[in-house]
Amino acid sequence: MTAGEGMGSSDGGTVLSVRGLTVAAKSKKLLDGISLDFPSQSLTAVIGPSGCGKTTFVRTLNRMAELTPGLRVSGSVKYLGQEIYSPGTNPVLVRRRIGMVFQRPTVFPKSIFENAAFGLRLVHEDEAEVDRAVTESLQRAGLWDEVKDDLDRPALSLSGGQQQRLCIARALATRPRVILLDEPTSALDPAATQRVEATMQRLKEDHVLILVTHNVGQAARVSDRVAFLHAGRLVEVGPTAEILERPRDPLTEQFITGRFA
Amino acid sequence: MATATLPSAALDPDDVLTQSSGRLLWRTGFDRWIGWLLPLLFVVAIYPILDLVYYISSRAIPTLSWAILTSTNPTATDALGVPIITTFEIMAAATLLAVALGIFGGVATAEFLSTRAAEWVRASANMLAGAPSVVVGYFGYIVFVTSFGWGLSYIAGVVTLAFFMTPYVFRTADLAFSSIPRPIREAALGSGSRPVQYILRVGAPIAFPQILTGVFLAMAIGVGETAPLVLTTTYGVLVPQTLYSPVSFLTGLIWANFSQPQNSGLQILAFQAAFLLMVLVVGLNIVVRIISAQYRKRLEGLYQ
Repeated sequence: MTAGEGMGSSDGGTVLSVRGLTVAAKSKKLLDGISLDFPSQSLTAVIGPSGCGKTTFVRTLNRMAELTPGLRVSGSVKYLGQEIYSPGTNPVLVRRRIGMVFQRPTVFPKSIFENAAFGLRLVHEDEAEVDRAVTESLQRAGLWDEVKDDLDRPALSLSGGQQQRLCIARALATRPRVILLDEPTSALDPAATQRVEATMQRLKEDHVLILVTHNVGQAARVSDRVAFLHAGRLVEVGPTAEILERPRDPLTEQFITGRFA
Repeated sequence: MATATLPSAALDPDDVLTQSSGRLLWRTGFDRWIGWLLPLLFVVAIYPILDLVYYISSRAIPTLSWAILTSTNPTATDALGVPIITTFEIMAAATLLAVALGIFGGVATAEFLSTRAAEWVRASANMLAGAPSVVVGYFGYIVFVTSFGWGLSYIAGVVTLAFFMTPYVFRTADLAFSSIPRPIREAALGSGSRPVQYILRVGAPIAFPQILTGVFLAMAIGVGETAPLVLTTTYGVLVPQTLYSPVSFLTGLIWANFSQPQNSGLQILAFQAAFLLMVLVVGLNIVVRIISAQYRKRLEGLYQ
């Protein structure tokens, strides 16, 4: 393979392709036959009532679900044509390409710099490269201007919103194609939420973003596509405006109007 | 370098998800190496236990009978009835005392004492838990046997053993109450409950399984202890009739009989007693696991 061809395969094409994804716990199905494609440069909001399987869904996309004991995953998830659930696939490599940001900020008790550099240190990049990547990912996460003068400060001294953007920077530093965001603003105040949303909108220019949110307003503000899950099933998926203004399914309508009413 | 099995020849090497992608190869090798080493170390660690179990069982089981377990004949060399009954009596009494002391202390430390006082109490309890059992036994001898004038007696043994078991109950009670999420506590107090009402109505049901685990653990540790009893009692052959009677108990029997001539009836009796203790300790540990699994299910979600 020659250099330079690499990016070609994904531009405009499908990065993640989910087919018949089913997740079962002991007695019940948490997800039931989900099929969905994620094209590059898109931000898909996954919405639905509590317990509908939104979080489980994104956790199956980078093989985090299997860290929860007792879950059985079946079906297919393909990343650029490669089955992530095939036996030869290394889950660690999957997670390097498909990053994740969680509900609550999960900064480590290290400096701001070392938090952002965490993923890079795992693969022994050289120091200049780490420096460059940390700066870039902090800039892209929209945190650089606030922290550039004290990168050695403990990350835990940052505010919640800053911590969450640091977590986004940490996910960005390993240059993943896909970033999964599991209700990234549910623990933040409105001002911090707004900043994280602005970051998300900037990032969809070069990443596939998949955002789990229980906030229909947030889906309307940042996403270009909405997928509505209910009781483990994908009820409908389509362009944000279409789904939120003219939902075809009564369940979707109930959920959306219930939230807005 | 991309391998031939790739679905797309145009894939960026960074996007390849199989393990053959060069840079991570040594890591994968390391993972595999660790994957072999850990089971090996596990076998090394567990071997002495398996050997001990075999050593004891192979001598105890062939000769053990229901008659031996139930016979209370004080003069027979093949009777375990008296030490079994007495061991259960001692354990029941010592556990009761240790539970009362431990839970009271734990709750007080977690809920009522100032941070500094609580730290002192915790440090003392840890010291007590770390004290060699023979030291606790000697403490019991000095305090209960001589100073209190109880003499070498059933009650001195029970109280000393209770002191030995208390820190384990204390620790779990303290930890169980301290680790209840703050909002839960504040929700109870915010609904107008007095601290004691919070403890009894909200805290206790949450802390109960963990405390129960501690109690059974303390029993498992206490039942196998020899020194606290050997130093504070005289060894008897009858089920104790008064608080000041001599006592006969399984660990004491092992201590006394193990040095008897090889394969003599008395030494076999020691192996049988050891086997019983082993079964008892394993049984207690299984009970602990069942209880904590049950309650963990019930409290799922609370500690998220």
